[in-house]
Parts: sequence; C-alpha cells; structure tokens
Amino acid sequence: MLEGFTTDYLPTTLRWAGVAIVMIALMIATFWTLRRFKVRHEAAIGFVFTLPMTLNLLIFTLYPFLYSFYLSFTEFNMFQAPKWVGLTNYITMFTNDTYFWPSCSLTLKYALYSVPLSIVASVAVALILNRPIKAVGFWRTLYYVPAVLPAAATMLLWRWMFAPNSGLINYMLSPFLMLFGLQPPEWYTDPQLVLSVFVITSLWGVFGANSVILLAGLKNVPTELYEAANLDGAGVLQKFRHITLPMISPALFYTLITGIIGALQIFTQAFFMKIPAEMGSFLSVRIYQEAFQFSHFGYAAAMAWFMLICIFLLTIIVFKSSSAWVYYENEAK
Amino acid sequence: MSPKIRELIIQLLTYIILVAVGLIILFPCLIMLTTSLKADVNLFQVPIQWIPDPVKWSNYSEAFVKMDQIAHGLTFVRVLSNTLFVTLLGMVAELCAVSFVAYGFARFRFAGRKIIFFAMLSTMMLPGIILIIPSFMIWKGLGLIDTYDPLVTAAWLGGGAWAVFLMRQFMMNIPREMEEAATIDGANTMQTFYLIIIPMIKPALLALGVLIFQGRWNDFMNPLIYLNTAAKFPLVMAIKFFQESLSHEAPKWNYMMAVSTVLALPILVLYFCAQRYFIEGLNVGAVKG
Repeated sequence: MLEGFTTDYLPTTLRWAGVAIVMIALMIATFWTLRRFKVRHEAAIGFVFTLPMTLNLLIFTLYPFLYSFYLSFTEFNMFQAPKWVGLTNYITMFTNDTYFWPSCSLTLKYALYSVPLSIVASVAVALILNRPIKAVGFWRTLYYVPAVLPAAATMLLWRWMFAPNSGLINYMLSPFLMLFGLQPPEWYTDPQLVLSVFVITSLWGVFGANSVILLAGLKNVPTELYEAANLDGAGVLQKFRHITLPMISPALFYTLITGIIGALQIFTQAFFMKIPAEMGSFLSVRIYQEAFQFSHFGYAAAMAWFMLICIFLLTIIVFKSSSAWVYYENEAK
Repeated sequence: MSPKIRELIIQLLTYIILVAVGLIILFPCLIMLTTSLKADVNLFQVPIQWIPDPVKWSNYSEAFVKMDQIAHGLTFVRVLSNTLFVTLLGMVAELCAVSFVAYGFARFRFAGRKIIFFAMLSTMMLPGIILIIPSFMIWKGLGLIDTYDPLVTAAWLGGGAWAVFLMRQFMMNIPREMEEAATIDGANTMQTFYLIIIPMIKPALLALGVLIFQGRWNDFMNPLIYLNTAAKFPLVMAIKFFQESLSHEAPKWNYMMAVSTVLALPILVLYFCAQRYFIEGLNVGAVKG
C-alpha cells in the first residue's frame, strides 16, 4: 500500500512545492524587470502581488474562454486535430438532438421554480429569526446546516427518501393518499414529479444559507424607520412592503442573481438522482456527457457557449430590472 | 384583543415555526444517521425505527470493505487520505495565493488594476463547465491527467474570485496607519505584509480557510473530470462509484448512508466548531454590496 502513497502523492507534492517556488521566483523576477523599466514602486508591487490571479485569468479563464469558442465550430475527439465544421454543431444542437430541448426546459424550469421559492422561504425564515428570540445563534447555526453538508451525501439521502415504494416520503404521505384514494407518487418515473424532487431537495439545502444573508440585511434596517411608520399608523403589511422590502433589496438582489446562476449550473445533484431518459438532463451534465463520455468536445463546447449566452442574457435582464426595484442606501453605484 | 395577548400569541407562533422548521432541517440528517446503523432487515421497516435494533456499528467498516472489493485499492485509509491530501494541499495554496492577490488589490494602485479586478469578478458568473474542456486539454498536454495536480497545484494561481474579493474587503478595512508606522520603522513591503497585515486579518483567514476546506472537501466536478483510477478517488467520488455499482444489485442503503455520514460528519464537526466564521465569511461578501 505504501507504493500507492509514493506514486500518487509524492510526485504531486513535489510539483506542488515546485510551482510555489517558481511562482515566487517569477514574482521577484517580474518585480525587478518592472523596476528596470522605471515603473513606480507602488505599481510594481501591486502588479507583482496580483500576478498569480493575472496568470490564472490568462491561462485558465481567458484562453479557455476563447478556445472553447473556437472549438464550438469544430469536431474534436482529442485524438485527432480539431476539424472545422462551421455551424454544424449549433444546427445539430437545435434541430437534431433529442435531448437538447428537454434538457434546456428541465434546467430552466428548475431555476424558475426553485429560485423564487427559495427566496420566499428564506425571507420568511429571516423575518422569524429577526424577532427577539432566545438563543438566536443556535437557530442560525442549525438552519445553516443543510448548506454545509456535501451535496453528494444529501442527494443520496433524498434519493433514499423519495423511493416510490419503500421511501419515507411516500410513507408519510400515505395517510393523505388513502384519504383521497390516490396512488403513491412515482417520484422517479413520472416526468412531472422528477423536477419536484430536485426543487424540494434544493429548497431544503439552500434556504438556510440565503436566510442568513437576508437576516444580516434585515439587521441593517434602521429601527427609526419602523418607529416613524408606527407613528403614522402603518399596518404590518404596509411596513413590510414599504420599509422592509426596499431596505433589504440589495441582499435580495444578490440572492436572486447567485441563485439563478447557481441553479442553471446544477451539476453534482444530477449524478445521484434518477431522471427518466426522455427528459434529458441538466445542461451542465449534458455538456459533461458529450465531452467526457462521447468525446464530442466540439459539440460540448457549442452547448456550453449556448448556456453561457443564456446565463449572460438572464443576468443582464435581472440587472436591468434591478434599477426599478433595488434601492441602495448610498446611491453612488 | 389586548396588545399584550397579541404579542404573546405572535411569540408563541414564532417559536412553533422555529421548531417546526428546525425539525424539517434535522429530520433528513437523523434519517441518514439511523439508516446507516440499521441491519438489512430493518431498513424498510415502517413506522420508522429511530433507534435501530440492533445497532450495527459494523456497517461502517463493512461498507468500506465492500468498497475496496469493488474498487480495488480504495480502502478506508486510502480514500480518507486522498480526500485530506486534495483538501489540505489545495487549501494551503489557495489561502497563500488569495492573501497575496487581495493585498495587491487592496493597497496598491497600478495600471490595469481595475480591469484585472473586474475580469476576476466577472468569472464568478461564468459557468465552470465552459472552461472545463480547454482546461482539461491544458492538463492533458502537461501529461497530468489522472494525477492530483489539476486539483492541487493549480491552487497556487489564486483560487476563487469570491475568496479574493472577501479578503480584499477585510484588508481594506485595516487602517493605513499600521502600515505607515511599519514603513517608518523601516519595514519593506514583504515584512509589512507578513508581520502586520496577516496577523490583523486572522479572523478573515480563518473564515476563508473554513469555507475553502468545505468547498474542496465537497468538490465533485473536478475529481470527476481529472481522476480516472478508482484508488485515487476522494470520498465524494467514492460515494458515486459505490452507488453506481451497488445499484446493479439491490442497493444496500445502510452501507451508502454509512459512507454518506463519513463524508458529511467532518464538515459538520468543522462547521459547529467554526460556525461563526462560516456565517461571518458569508456576510462580508454579500451585504456590503
């Protein structure tokens, strides 16, 4: 067993340490070079300190970004050079791939259902946590637990609970089902229900983290506003609509954006849950499959670019709409 | 209704909802724990047997023995050390790199600073999957597929944009007088960085360290793409492997829950010890807009 340790860990550790040393040497060399060119001391230091990130952006972000764009117009299986095919990948994607549109619809619907629900739930929980309660720290800690657990472990757990015949969920629903004469839901084979499984598990997982962010936002609302509103005779709902919501809208905005971007990219969860084949799968997973299982790297790149553009457009839309409903305390935005 | 009674009812409702939601959160976790300790016959027994009878602690060792049978070489010790290796080495590298980069952004003006900073921030919106294929090709070109390097060595290049952002916010809050005092005393930049800045941001480093540890411990996509040999898998991958092969026979859910608990428990323990830092780290990034 010891050879395993030396063949697998040692080379990587050596390279790891080596890269650190090279990095430091590179930073020093860059610094001296910049100073040779009469660059200001402060500027040289700043540039050198941020050099790791700059390299990261160039090598692992910019280059992949551009190269995957190029790849999306080619056919590439890693063994031969990429072959230019123009728009074929995109055309196939839109017209000839039985799993493409179902996968898009699945991913989009998942985001559309899970994000608003999770925000509503988080706001509700945050409001409750904001009330004067004993041991608020304990509750905050508890509610955050699902967000901390590994997605793999929790998905497996939920898969166990949603099992149609023997799972706990159906067991707990059985009194209601018998009352209405319904069959136990087939969570894994009924297309309508499969999405609900993902939405429910994501709700359980994420509302704790979001409610902590929103709670922090709630704490920042000046109490004078509420007192003034009380003097004016405002009711609970009015106070909520006209004071609470606007004041926490920056936090809501952040939760919305990160929620949408995260939901559209869902990956790990799909590997631990069953989805009927005709529904396709989530877009990230489809891209992974096309690339690493079928070696259609060009096609996968095309799908990835489509996904990128969709996310980009959605983000822009939300950003643009934000000027209508997000209120910033210090307007210098 | 008098306001006092109304207040009392609202308080009561608040506590009821708090406890109810708390139970919803806890219920699945307890299920995971009890299922992992059940013998096969008790697995599907209803009503739910909260305390298994008998309590099969051996499920844990049996599960890992079974895993070693399926994936040769993947013993408990091996899979745990794989996970720790990837997590710890990656975390150390990322923390160092992030501190340097954040200091650069926080304190120094240089040409292109804004561009690099915003480029970095915009990567937070990029779906990771779009960068995967060319990154894979880079590592393939280096001959480092199926090694731990893509997971661990690359961390020296700065890690996540959110980490840099978080650290930068913290650093910008440090009063400049501290650095000025150090400079007057004759310290150069590195000394100031090492002796002044780092000690002052210890809470942020801790928060970040905890979050990074969690992120790498739970990371599924990167090991999935870069590792091929079963014996090298970290725990997340081992679970996937286990689940796949087990689903051909009747799934042994008690084994799978046992392995899941082993995956989740360290993070849970870490969380309870450092939960202040988890939440603190989350808030600094978010609310300050």
